[in-house]
Amino acid sequence: MNAFPLLVHAYRQAPWRIQRRWASAFLLGLVGLAMIAALYLDVTARAAILGREIQSLKADIARLRQENATLQTRLAELMSTYSMEQRARALGYRPVKSTEIHYVIVPGYVRPTSVKLVDTVARPATEALPPEYRQSLLEWFVEYFHSTYGGGDGVSLFTGGLP
Amino acid sequence: MNPFSMRREYAWRSIFVTAWLLLFALVILAQIIRIQRSPEAELFRQQAGEYAMVRRIVYPERGKIYDRKGNLLASNEVVYTVGANMPEVVDKEALAREVSAHLGLRYEEVYERLLNPYGLIFVPLAGFVPAEAAQALRERYEQLWRELEEERPFPLSGLEFRPMLQRSYPENDLASNVLGFFNREGRGIFGVEEKYDSLLAGTPLEIWIPQDPNRVAEIPRVPDGASLILTLDRNLQAAAEETLDWALGEYGARNGTIIVMDPRSGEILAMATAPRLNLNEFWNYDKYYRQAYQFNPAIAMQYEPGSVFKVLTMAAALDSGLVTPSTTFYDTGLIVVGGVPIQNWNRRPWGEQTMQGCLQYSLNVCMAWLSTSMGKETFYGYLQRFGIGRPTGIDLAGETSGRLKLPGDQDWYEVDLGTNAFGQGVAVSPIQMMAAVSAIANKGRMVRPHVLRSIVSDGQQVDIAVEPVGMPIRPETARLLSEMLATSLEREASLALVPGYRVAGKTGTAQIPVEGGYSFTETNVSFVGWGPVDDPRFIIYVWLERPSVSIWAGETAAPVFSEMAQRVVVLLDLPPDAIRLQVSTR
Repeated sequence: MNAFPLLVHAYRQAPWRIQRRWASAFLLGLVGLAMIAALYLDVTARAAILGREIQSLKADIARLRQENATLQTRLAELMSTYSMEQRARALGYRPVKSTEIHYVIVPGYVRPTSVKLVDTVARPATEALPPEYRQSLLEWFVEYFHSTYGGGDGVSLFTGGLP
Repeated sequence: MNPFSMRREYAWRSIFVTAWLLLFALVILAQIIRIQRSPEAELFRQQAGEYAMVRRIVYPERGKIYDRKGNLLASNEVVYTVGANMPEVVDKEALAREVSAHLGLRYEEVYERLLNPYGLIFVPLAGFVPAEAAQALRERYEQLWRELEEERPFPLSGLEFRPMLQRSYPENDLASNVLGFFNREGRGIFGVEEKYDSLLAGTPLEIWIPQDPNRVAEIPRVPDGASLILTLDRNLQAAAEETLDWALGEYGARNGTIIVMDPRSGEILAMATAPRLNLNEFWNYDKYYRQAYQFNPAIAMQYEPGSVFKVLTMAAALDSGLVTPSTTFYDTGLIVVGGVPIQNWNRRPWGEQTMQGCLQYSLNVCMAWLSTSMGKETFYGYLQRFGIGRPTGIDLAGETSGRLKLPGDQDWYEVDLGTNAFGQGVAVSPIQMMAAVSAIANKGRMVRPHVLRSIVSDGQQVDIAVEPVGMPIRPETARLLSEMLATSLEREASLALVPGYRVAGKTGTAQIPVEGGYSFTETNVSFVGWGPVDDPRFIIYVWLERPSVSIWAGETAAPVFSEMAQRVVVLLDLPPDAIRLQVSTR
């Protein structure tokens, strides 16, 4: 009968061991949380940098479009009627008279009737920004959660849309 | 103390400290939650939401304007608003000195603006600064930035250049009367710029941009304003303006206009007027024009057309079946209509004449006989079908409707039926006259004159269809009348003839109404003609105001028509009739 308490004592962990186990679990959780926080911070920081880059690129696009318009105008000025006539006269040309022209029949030639000025590459109405550049990690997770497990009406909690 | 009791005491202390720390953490947590849920927090969140977005209105680039061959007639270029960002300005004197020196401004004015910014963060010092001038100032800024590396902030701190687009016209004054201009208040004035202002301007878009880079939002692309392709041919326009300037000098005319149109489609190929405004300096408008109609008299001026109107009277008489080309009329040199005697231009009788002769010698008496014989209803019915008395609907701002008095109007008298037949007592615009006569060149069919050929918007080009406006006379009448007019020119050996091309047309020498009658010494002269007669590709209207060399259209407007037509056939690649007929019969 006296052997039973001895057996119980033999299998009980030393208190410091239990405390160390708890402390380890706590620290492990803390490290895990720190890692997630670091990861989140990294993604957020990168998203912020890319966001700024996009804003800067948008500004560049606007500037280049303005420069393009100016260059087109400069080109048109260089090729204006007055400029072209001056250059032609400087090269020794003069306007032709109707009686000086020789007409030649060119089989198969079709005179162009109208000028086409449309862009060959159609531009989309909005420049699509991939979600990677718009979503934070949390937003991605919430969206993933909603799409995988359903729930709610699919509206993100962290909307970045326009008011 | 035995080790066991020491360990217990240590344990208690640990628990005590841990409990306090936990309690402290819980208090912090509770405080965080309390702050987050407080009414003030809601207010702050609301404020943060308000400042998180910046409202911006994105203005589309104004659409360009091209001629029918794709040459640019109106475009945009970058100019700058040079100003000071006041919180960064450290040396107002230096800033005012550099800005005024580089931009040609008065130092005192610039300095005054910097001294009294009236609460503005950004104080504009000069607007619409051309890129070249701004570049020189920018280089100075950068030079000082490098030189004064140790001095931060440096004297030009706060200087800013804000770009914006300004309308630009590469051809300066070419076709200025057709294009109009875009002023600095953002409004199109006159011509195409006014008529198609909203189309060219596009639709501004209001957007909210998040300040938080984590929430970078897509900025939607704002489509540019629609670009327009006009029916004008730049080279033909230049030729018309050159011919008009030559004619004004050669015949001592005060003013004038030349219009070239394709009678089949109503496309205006050239529309020259004088004087012309350099559209890049539109603020000089007052130096050139005293009244708005002078900007484009081709559509906005109304006047008595004179003898060119006889073409319409003869068309009505032929089409109504009253006469044929061989019908004879005995001209006594006088006809009385409504109690008023009407005479020929030379006040002499011309004896027996066919209708061909009536046109060839431009007999007023014969024309008055035709209109009175037709009667009021028939004659005015035809004139209305020709569009006299109402705007043609050309797509340019500021068109006048002219004036056609009709029986029943308070100011209409019986004599008007006679005088209207040869173009007196009726007011038309050049474009109206041309549109009416184009029906004869175009097998009796009238089309609306227009300057817009295509609209290019958001990657799509839409061509403008020909718009018929009626058929005032039968094709057979149009053919007969064309033949009569061509024969008239050939028999008269008119100065309007074009070597190698058969053309039809009619002169108009209009006396100028003065107080109590008409001037005997001054006239307005005109000529309307088209060719080639068998397949008309162009119709030209020439109008000159008070030529001093001669009062007769046959000696002034007719040779101008010929000169212009010779340039038109070259620029439209129209081979002479002989070659063209030879090719078509193969």
